[in-house]
Amino acid sequence: MATDQGPSMTTYVGIWVGLLVIVGIEVAVTYQRPETKSLLAVLLILAFIEAGIGLLFFMHMKYERKILFWTVVPITLFVLLMMDHVWADAFRMFSLRLLQ
Amino acid sequence: MTMTSGHGALMEQSPYGLQSKKLAMWLFIASDAVTFAAALVAYGFLRIGSPDWPRPFEWPSIANGLVMTFVLLSSSLTMLVAVRAAKGGQKSKAIQWLGFTMLLGVIFAALHLREWFHMFAEGWGLSKNPMGGPLDFGAAFFSITGLHLLHVISGVVALLVITIGYKSNRLDDNHVETTSLYWHFVDIVWMFVFPLMYLMNAR
Repeated sequence: MATDQGPSMTTYVGIWVGLLVIVGIEVAVTYQRPETKSLLAVLLILAFIEAGIGLLFFMHMKYERKILFWTVVPITLFVLLMMDHVWADAFRMFSLRLLQ
Repeated sequence: MTMTSGHGALMEQSPYGLQSKKLAMWLFIASDAVTFAAALVAYGFLRIGSPDWPRPFEWPSIANGLVMTFVLLSSSLTMLVAVRAAKGGQKSKAIQWLGFTMLLGVIFAALHLREWFHMFAEGWGLSKNPMGGPLDFGAAFFSITGLHLLHVISGVVALLVITIGYKSNRLDDNHVETTSLYWHFVDIVWMFVFPLMYLMNAR
């Protein structure tokens, strides 16, 4: 029923190695001791790249009909974006606690 | 193209080209993803709001987390082998690699619990902080990693059920593939939990 049978085992192993490399980069970046905001940005970007690779290849989304992607992914991303409304309150709480 | 049921009624073919159980699994994964996202955002909220957030993880904890990540990523690879074997009609090979996947899942859970008990011994708890800072760290860490651990354990149980059913011909390769979606999702969630809970709190 999928549009394609998917990649070969060699490709899967290559992707697995790639994901391990990304994890290694995350740890290496962490021990460079960057500023917290920079570290968070880098780790989130790498995590989303890993998630995207996992979703497309391991979970076979790339080889399913496009309508599955458009049904599942945009609404999930929308909910994630809506959750971002809380950050202003978090920074306000930080400022209040600093004043105490 | 249309299909007919036993009563002769006309039915539209699904636009997704998937079995219902697979579509249901995708929809469940989407809902579970936003559940984890909510927990992680709550952790972020608490962390940003705390000027003295603790960073308790020294290199041994990070190394343990690295090993856990390697184990879980490898379990996704063994799961892929199992699905390919199932799709190719190689039943005994599929069952063997399902077994490897379950074993790696158990190893991950064991490593995780070992980390937890180490933290308990140091004085950490849901509302305990031996470093003297905000008590929220324990609540955030143990609830998020605990939720993930619960998913891993549930996944191992589900894999066991599927393997037994597949072996006795009650279930087929589609059941194996559908369950593999859940397992890969659990792995993907760890790709966020490890950096956000461990690396961001590395000492």
